[in-house]
Amino acid sequence: MNSIISAFSKGIEKSGIDRKKISMPSDVPFNPDVVKALGVDYFQIPRGRAIAFGTGLKLGNPSLKVVPVAGDLMTLGGNHFVHGARRNMELLIICVNSFVYKKIAGKPIPSTQSAFSPYSTFEEPFNFPHLGNSCGAIYTARWTALHTEELADSVAEALHKHGLSVIEVLAPGPNYYTDIDSIELELLKFYHENSTIKNNEDPKNVAIVPDEKIIVGKFTDKERPTFIDSYNVQHSKILGDKFTPHGGKNG
Amino acid sequence: MKASPTDVLTGIYYIDGDVAAGYGALAAGCKLVAGYPITPSTEAFEAMCRMGPQVGTVFIQMEDEFGSISAVLGAVWSGVKSMTITSGPGYSLMMESIGFGAMLETPFVLLNIQRGGPSTGVPTKTGQADMMQSRWGSHGDYELIAISPDSPQEMFDYTIKAFNLAEKYRCPVMIMSDECVGHMTEKVVIPEADKIEIEPRRFYKGPPEKYLPFSPDPDLVPKIAKAGDGLGLYITGRVHDERGYPVKNEEFKAKYVRRLVDKIRLNKDKIIELKEESTDDADVVVVSYGISSRVAVKGVEIARQKGIKVGALRLVTVWPFPDEKIIDLAKKVKAFVVPEINYGQIVFDVARCCHGQANVVLIPHGGAGVHNPLDISDAIESAAKEDKKIEGVVEFKTRLEKIVFERGLKFKE
Repeated sequence: MNSIISAFSKGIEKSGIDRKKISMPSDVPFNPDVVKALGVDYFQIPRGRAIAFGTGLKLGNPSLKVVPVAGDLMTLGGNHFVHGARRNMELLIICVNSFVYKKIAGKPIPSTQSAFSPYSTFEEPFNFPHLGNSCGAIYTARWTALHTEELADSVAEALHKHGLSVIEVLAPGPNYYTDIDSIELELLKFYHENSTIKNNEDPKNVAIVPDEKIIVGKFTDKERPTFIDSYNVQHSKILGDKFTPHGGKNG
Repeated sequence: MKASPTDVLTGIYYIDGDVAAGYGALAAGCKLVAGYPITPSTEAFEAMCRMGPQVGTVFIQMEDEFGSISAVLGAVWSGVKSMTITSGPGYSLMMESIGFGAMLETPFVLLNIQRGGPSTGVPTKTGQADMMQSRWGSHGDYELIAISPDSPQEMFDYTIKAFNLAEKYRCPVMIMSDECVGHMTEKVVIPEADKIEIEPRRFYKGPPEKYLPFSPDPDLVPKIAKAGDGLGLYITGRVHDERGYPVKNEEFKAKYVRRLVDKIRLNKDKIIELKEESTDDADVVVVSYGISSRVAVKGVEIARQKGIKVGALRLVTVWPFPDEKIIDLAKKVKAFVVPEINYGQIVFDVARCCHGQANVVLIPHGGAGVHNPLDISDAIESAAKEDKKIEGVVEFKTRLEKIVFERGLKFKE
């Protein structure tokens, strides 16, 4: 996680956006010191509700940059993700895919096939970038904890996008392991040997499949009106002068 | 602080309770309504969708009730007033985040137009069976405020009051209305903005480095901040210290959760609103809330015509419960009669406060309808005649129950 957080911080730096304007609703618990170092506003919210909470933050104050960090994204938060992408709510979703539910040893999860469950898993996993792309996300990317430079660039780029962006980050969940250092190193080595960068690859081809190389890169980068844009256009059309557009240009 | 003239739709209307509540929320300065439509609360959401964009209130139909309440909490932390509207099954889904909101001391309003339950129940008809859920629905210890209006005018007035209470005590406020009041159409007078008192948010205004989001004022309520102000907020649903940082030890838990509960309990006198009538020399007091209090008026009138000394106590604020009032009355009266559209919820709190000093009679109703006023007057009459003390809650056999269970009821073939 540490490498992701520093990459995220670097990304904010590169984007030139004021850290004070960044809000981070997250169902992943962050250490207060880490949040302090990041200089953002942090909300640890119930599992899966980061995107919905972020939607409220953004609608309440469109000048905020809202970055939901999601662990239970495709389980409890699945519907929020699908609809957030459909309405193109301006959010940058960082989805941390650690292959396991943190602290809950061996539960198969919907995001990968190679879960560390006693008998592995037999369920078909989601392909996040493909799902996000097909639901209407305007920016999708996937990086691993090894690709910190690329991740920072993606964060910087996505923070300036108007609409829903999703960056999937493959990262070890260190709390699960007893020997953090060795497993981090082991997994980083695994990512190094088993990943390949393919920018602009069609997201439908980037599913994580056992025994095949993990495809990382930026897959989607397009433009489409955000929820607030469409809200303003529709109401201005019907209500005319009676309607004051919400959020001005920041929406 | 006075309401903003742009938010108040001043005028005389002939509207239902749902719409009146929606207009009340706008007048209170609600700037985001997130909801998922559900009968019989839909008209309130519709009213806000229709009028909201004209007064600068954003509405969003979320994907589900989890999303609705989460968006409301997010909006509050972005600095605006916000509410959600729901009923029955939607209310059950929101329980997780109601506790979360209480834990974060987030001021928001939830309008629950109760319908017949359990489960899908009778979606289009009334019920009052979510009262205990509103108090105990989310896990863990917390306190919140619930109010129960009984007319469209009150739906307007008490929605504003709900927002004011939420801001004052930094807690969730439930408006526990019901289908009858929600769909009842009556005259509603919306006054000029300068006649409406609005509680401003207790924003922190000191130096950023000194801000402690959960350090309480003398009334036990802390100052709130909003995202984007550079205060470096760390807000979590975990038990936390004054900084908001998670703590695990039992001392902090005792300190923090105790305050969460005490800020409502110790401010009870300022929060609770009751409407009391002729209780001074009463033999029997009818305790009611919401639509049941409207029906009880007729029941009380019939009983008085028979010469019975009967008083009425209406719980406008249901939670926190007015323990002291009931304890006080129990010393003077023979019995309490509690009509409610459920099989016993508030009646048990009345009994708890009686300490066996007065009899307690429940007039139950399964929902999908309201009480027959004759049942209420009969229950008053028999309670007034009863000379011996009866332990526990006595259930009055209503006309409806007699028809159903004594004569039998068959489904139509």
